[in-house]
Amino acid sequence: MKDQLEQIRSRALAELADDAAEAAIENVRVRVLGRSGELTEIMRRMREVPPEERPAIGQLVNQIKAELEARIEVLQGRLREAALERELAAARLDVTLPGAHLPRGRLHPVTQTIEEMLHIFRAMGFEIAATRDVEDDFHNFAALNFPPDHPAREMQDTFFIGGGLLLRTHTSNGQIRVMEARRPPLAVVCPGNCYRRDELSVRASPMFSQIEGFMVDRAGKITMAHLKGVLTEFLRAFFGAGTAVRFRASFFPFTEPSAEVDISCLLCAGKGCRVCKQSGWTEILGSGMIHPNVFRAVGYDPAEFQGFAFGLGVERTALLKLGVEDMRLFFENDLRFLNQFQATVERLA
Amino acid sequence: MKLPLGWLREFVTVDADVDAIARRLTAAGVEVENLERVNAGFSDVVIARVLDVQRHPNADRLSLCEVDAGPLGRFSVVCGAPNVRSGMTAAYARVGARLRAGVHGAGGAATVEQAPPLQAAVIRGVKSDGMLCSERELGLSDEHQGILELDAGEPGSDLATALHLDDVVLDIAITPNRGDCLSVLGLAREIAALFGVKLKPPPITPLVTDNHRGEAVAVAVEIEAPDLCPRYAALPMEGVKIGPSPIWLRRRLELAGMRAVSNVVDATNYVMLELGQPLHAFDFTKLAGGRIVVRRAGNDRAMTTLDGLERALIADDLVIADADKPVALAGVMGGGNSEVGGETGTILLESAYFEPMTVARTARRLGLRSEASYRFERGIDPTGQVRALHRVASIITRISGGRAAGPIIDVEARPPELREITLEPDAITKILGVRIPRAEISRRLKSLGAGVRSERQRLIVTAPPFRPDLTEPADLAEEVARLKGLDEIPAAVPERPSAGPAVEDSSRVFARVSREVMLGCGLTEIKSIAFIAPADNQAYPGIGTGQTICVTNPLSAELSEMRRSLVPGLIAAMRFNLNREAAAFHAFEIGRVFMTNGDGSAPESERIAGISYGEYALAAIGRPGVTADFFTIKGIAETYLRSLPGAPRADFVPPAAGELAFLHPGKSAHIRIDGRRLGYVGELHPGEAMHLGLGGPCGVFEFDLTMLLAFGSSERRAIELPPRFPAVRRDLALVVDRGLAADDVLRAISEMKLNLLESVRLFDVYEGGSIPPDKKSVGIACLYRARDRTLTDGEVNRAHADLIERARARLGAELRQ
Ligand SMILES: [Zn+2]
Repeated sequence: MKDQLEQIRSRALAELADDAAEAAIENVRVRVLGRSGELTEIMRRMREVPPEERPAIGQLVNQIKAELEARIEVLQGRLREAALERELAAARLDVTLPGAHLPRGRLHPVTQTIEEMLHIFRAMGFEIAATRDVEDDFHNFAALNFPPDHPAREMQDTFFIGGGLLLRTHTSNGQIRVMEARRPPLAVVCPGNCYRRDELSVRASPMFSQIEGFMVDRAGKITMAHLKGVLTEFLRAFFGAGTAVRFRASFFPFTEPSAEVDISCLLCAGKGCRVCKQSGWTEILGSGMIHPNVFRAVGYDPAEFQGFAFGLGVERTALLKLGVEDMRLFFENDLRFLNQFQATVERLA
Repeated sequence: MKLPLGWLREFVTVDADVDAIARRLTAAGVEVENLERVNAGFSDVVIARVLDVQRHPNADRLSLCEVDAGPLGRFSVVCGAPNVRSGMTAAYARVGARLRAGVHGAGGAATVEQAPPLQAAVIRGVKSDGMLCSERELGLSDEHQGILELDAGEPGSDLATALHLDDVVLDIAITPNRGDCLSVLGLAREIAALFGVKLKPPPITPLVTDNHRGEAVAVAVEIEAPDLCPRYAALPMEGVKIGPSPIWLRRRLELAGMRAVSNVVDATNYVMLELGQPLHAFDFTKLAGGRIVVRRAGNDRAMTTLDGLERALIADDLVIADADKPVALAGVMGGGNSEVGGETGTILLESAYFEPMTVARTARRLGLRSEASYRFERGIDPTGQVRALHRVASIITRISGGRAAGPIIDVEARPPELREITLEPDAITKILGVRIPRAEISRRLKSLGAGVRSERQRLIVTAPPFRPDLTEPADLAEEVARLKGLDEIPAAVPERPSAGPAVEDSSRVFARVSREVMLGCGLTEIKSIAFIAPADNQAYPGIGTGQTICVTNPLSAELSEMRRSLVPGLIAAMRFNLNREAAAFHAFEIGRVFMTNGDGSAPESERIAGISYGEYALAAIGRPGVTADFFTIKGIAETYLRSLPGAPRADFVPPAAGELAFLHPGKSAHIRIDGRRLGYVGELHPGEAMHLGLGGPCGVFEFDLTMLLAFGSSERRAIELPPRFPAVRRDLALVVDRGLAADDVLRAISEMKLNLLESVRLFDVYEGGSIPPDKKSVGIACLYRARDRTLTDGEVNRAHADLIERARARLGAELRQ
């Protein structure tokens, strides 16, 4: 019986050669290891073996069984691998073909510019307040120290909508609305749309956005020096650390002293070019110390409080930063323009 | 304001070139927008006196002239002009002079073509050392009948200089608060203060009245409206000969941007430009009763101004009248009925102060702006009236031969107030954030013409009368800062104000979240202008029932209303892109819409709207794309709602007849949250789509973002822990009436509040086949779960059977076999 087992083993191993086919392997498995296979047959005939030899034979059977099973596993594993290889080879794609696309939204460049600016202002401690587009004369003009019939009103050609209402010509109404409702200290920026009677053109739009900002505290605590510090820091954060900033005296009815703020021309870095009319500077925003009459209009005592305010046109600034010159691009919504902007609300550093 | 540098230099001497002057002015708030260099276009032409004129020996029409060019010597010149005579002052082009190549009109461009240098010539046998020039030869005008005759000039001096032909013109933007800078003198004062040099005001020659023949012209001036006109000064002049002004004067006016008219008018304009005081000349003989009455128009309803137009008056307009009628619109324009003309021999010069508001109101109402009204509106020097009359009288005497016909009549109905501003010791430092010594403050303010005196620690500053803008310490701080230079103020970062954390307005946060969702859904943000055509508002009335807002003064009919909805803007953007190569358009906008309430208030509210047209998911090799339709846009709307804080649950309600008329009646819905209509979704009406030239369905949605915010910002819900025991799904196909909305089926099941039923979800709708024609089969997935144990089959089966039984009863549903 031992010889017989040895025979079964060597025959099976011979058939389980390295290049054995799937069918041959299966054949061996069924014939030797199957339910009615040769090894099962041996076990069934164990009664014929003298009892003292039975453990040795049994052990031998298990040993052969394990050996053959291991061998079959190895061979089958190899075959599976080979089959997989063939399959993978057959399934090779042209990976340069386009993927199945979902549409991708883009954020409007004006929104992006506003978000980027507000991001900086928030980091500088400003809160962000919402204000209204439809205003009355008081909040858009009178409280901002534009007397009736004063020529300063003509700096801003106004849309009227009846009922004593108008569309705000600047976001400066935000100053009045916020100060009417609250007491200093205040550090607030108000973004929003403004309206002026200009045809849509390369340089102007009847609707555009501004960001108004102001900081008010006890008299002497917020000075012109702080106005310069805050705006310089903001402009360097927005346009780059190397940006030069210049303050020029100017006039706005609601600030005194007033200052126009210029930055070094982005195109020529201050050397002088066509865009900056050879001056090396670009006008970027208006600012000043809040006029005492504005404080009086909101019921603050100008002897008690003091602060600065500024206003910044978003579209114009965005054009400067993007290096394009046509305001209409922002309102035509040409996808070939819009698709060039990133698709995220958050500012990428 | 255009400022010729040569004129400026008469009043101030600065050791700086024009670029430095321009930079300094700009930094100080007097912005120089442009520098224009002008030149004569000729050189080596000098002033010469004609000493002797003889007939040319060989030609009848030519003369032989001897001219005296002062230090340059005497020359012999052949001249063909009929007007040449001995004793006249003329323009002499020396040998070597360069004249203009072509024949040009008046005025000088920056670059002029020049002819080659003039050479000595022999004309009909006589040598000519140069030539005497006509205006045309000098490019001053087209005049070529004779040679130019000058009214004065030092022989031998350069003609271009004498006539102000070589100059630089500074184009200056004057801010509305600086009326005082609307004159050469005012700008000279500004420059003197900036450069720390002395101002030399123009000479005031006393009136020459001694040659006046005694019959003083009787003039009466009366101010009936002292509130609108505190001061009126007048001067009669007689013996005036109206004619063209001399070249130098015309040239100055032209450089300053004004047109020359005639000597008297030009002289008044010249003095206005020089001193900032607008002047007016009446033909005295046309003033009834020899009277000037400054009064409100009252019952006078109309008058004709100098430009020939009839102007309607209102009772409050300030006019200058004679005994009968208005003869000028005060401070705006003179009247045609008293205009100075060629026949005028006696004039009355007006020099007055009119209140800025009255001039501004009248000028604006009539749409009539003049150099005078421009200055009055901004406030002129209330003390400069008499000085200006002296100045203009001396010029008129010089250029038109007129002389004063009586003394100046000066009526001061209301003297200007003296404005004193008290400066506490630290007042300016507190505003500017930098310490400025008292002495410096005092020096700088004095340089502007202010009076400054010390009173203990304080400075008492008397504002100059021509600076009405200086009324309080902040104004003086500005003056000191801009004269010192804003660069001298350090930049400092404030302590963070103790205003609390830098919060952001919740509507902005909400809009930002909304944008993120839209971008994720593949929609691109657009921005459209809030003005819209009435037809668009009618077609797309949006959400809300307020009244449409019309713009009182729109740019055009197409932009005459405020939008009620963002959808027209999205459609316009879509059309723009479809006309430019785009095949699909998926976009959104967040913006404000405007309507009036019943109470007349005009609330604005925020909207979010989206549009989806064309291929949404793009086709790839071997797989089809997805074309946007109702379910695409509804899916986006639902994704949006699900993404909002609080994930408000919405009902989609089909529109009643006539509602949402711009949408497909069968593929549109109101979106209701908590019973309120917050939006809508649907495909554009096929008729509209066809009209727009679309080749397939176009989905749109719109939400009232302001109202959504109310839901979105509600209390945050408690967090539910993920279940620990598995759920069991049982599917169910119910055959229900075809008209029953899927939502109603799901809601009916949810409302059964079955104990173990966690959720129900629709996964299929089937019609036709074995289903009766008026029925449909809805496939529903039911999820059962207990929080505390794994459910047994038996429990689930019992619960499901219960559900089916109730659905049958409640919905009249049958189980699909
Ligand atoms: Zn540049």
